[in-house]
Amino acid sequence: MAAVFAHGPLIAEQMDSAYDLMARMAKASKELSYKGLFTYEYRGQLRSIKVVHLVRDGKTYERIVHMDGPEREIVRRGDNLGCLRAADRLLRGSALKFNNSYANLQDHYEFYIRGNGRIAGRLVALVEVLPKDKLRYGYIVAIDKETGLMLQSVLLSQTGKPLERFQYVDITFGADLDNFQLSSEMAESEDIDVNQSACLETNQAIDAVPSIWEAQWLPPGFVLSSYQAPDETGQESWMYTDGLAVFSVFVDSNEGTDNFPPLDAKLGTTVAVLTKAQYKNQLYAVCVVGEIPRSTAGQVANAIRPSASMEVE
Amino acid sequence: MSDQQERLAESLSALMDGETSEIELHRILREVGIDQDHQTDSNATHLASTQSARGIWQRYNMVSASMAGEPVSKIDYSAAISAAIDQEGAHRVSLFSNLMSSTGRFAIAASVALVAVLGVQQLNAPDPASADVIKFAEMDIDSTERSTGPAIQFPSGFQPSIQARTVSAGGNNKTSQHLVPVMQVRKSEQRQFSETELRKYMDDIMLKHSNNAALNSNQGMLPFARVTKSEAGSDQE
Repeated sequence: MAAVFAHGPLIAEQMDSAYDLMARMAKASKELSYKGLFTYEYRGQLRSIKVVHLVRDGKTYERIVHMDGPEREIVRRGDNLGCLRAADRLLRGSALKFNNSYANLQDHYEFYIRGNGRIAGRLVALVEVLPKDKLRYGYIVAIDKETGLMLQSVLLSQTGKPLERFQYVDITFGADLDNFQLSSEMAESEDIDVNQSACLETNQAIDAVPSIWEAQWLPPGFVLSSYQAPDETGQESWMYTDGLAVFSVFVDSNEGTDNFPPLDAKLGTTVAVLTKAQYKNQLYAVCVVGEIPRSTAGQVANAIRPSASMEVE
Repeated sequence: MSDQQERLAESLSALMDGETSEIELHRILREVGIDQDHQTDSNATHLASTQSARGIWQRYNMVSASMAGEPVSKIDYSAAISAAIDQEGAHRVSLFSNLMSSTGRFAIAASVALVAVLGVQQLNAPDPASADVIKFAEMDIDSTERSTGPAIQFPSGFQPSIQARTVSAGGNNKTSQHLVPVMQVRKSEQRQFSETELRKYMDDIMLKHSNNAALNSNQGMLPFARVTKSEAGSDQE
């Protein structure tokens, strides 16, 4: 009996430190300057990608280049260091207020330290992140002991099988990057708009946005982290996160999408579930995309309905 | 004749005509059995009482036989036959035949199930109009879960036994450099759609998702690695 009581605080302490490591990781990935090479592996497919992440005058600059396959370069410039989005806040330990309830990472995952390792020539702490329900995946992450940066991440299926692996093979921090010029290496590069997702000033998540659509069910712990109003093609989208996993909801209505049959798609660990919904005699394609189990995506897709307030009008 | 006997007589008459239900037949047999026990007990074998079930049965049969012009006998063979059956040794029931009979039953049940499955499959078979859909729907969407031995291993130190294994080249596409989404149509509809457009749409939203995910998750650059840029236009098909 005494042993049980003695164990209690010990476990709690371990939980805390594993969780602290994760929180530190969230901070490090943003605030450090580094360049390196990482690999992404999925079902025997291996991709290598070169990355540069710079912090200058309170803003971050990133460039990633795919090293094999079709040429691809992605650039992201000028994100404010102080901009904390929903996932940042959740991983750093905040409970976010959303739809009149509080979302908290620790309500949905358990964190365990699983020893040490060595990745990309650096000492790492291994943290296992286990979901408390069947609605999301688990992870094993390797966090650099010195800097706190995540050097490896393995996504685990619900049965504990590895689904994909992200891992640095080489990384350099700080000093010699001061004079690094973030110029394009390739003729064509994609600029990613950093303003598509709002910074949160407080622990209040973006609340429901005015739209004809409404998610009548969301997996617990997920909050809205970005919203795009209908664009010129009529596409409207939402992104939800629980701090680790993310999924997007797209609603489309145009000649092409109207005719799409309901279907499931899968690319690596990303699943997409397409369903149809009707509003005022108009068919809409509702698609849920994310690194979440198929069943979760399906449940969300079926819960996207015209909002009650709109139907009254 | 009491009410009960009257009912019995009616039942026996029905039995003669082969019109009794199984429950009724069981009741008659029980009645006859009690009758017989009673007779043996009292040793009054000389004549079955005209009121007893046995007597009624005999009478009805005599009437029926004489009407058909058949010879009529008053001798009751039933006791003798019953005794002869009692004396005969019980047939040995072999385990094998027991097994056979139950397997037979199971086989029938299984074949019924098979028919049901086949039937359902046929009902669900997509119409030939959507044949182009079937081509890419054949790929199993959940094969990741069932694939034997993933190429990915746990990080070193996490699991004590790390097996070195060769990484198989080529996933589920021809070029092996660019993965295309595997799609499975849940319900085929009458509406015509362009597969190219569907692919373009899927590529587009997956790309949008991954670009946005990099900002909205704590996975750093990882989302950019998951989805490669769409090659919908340059697919050599």
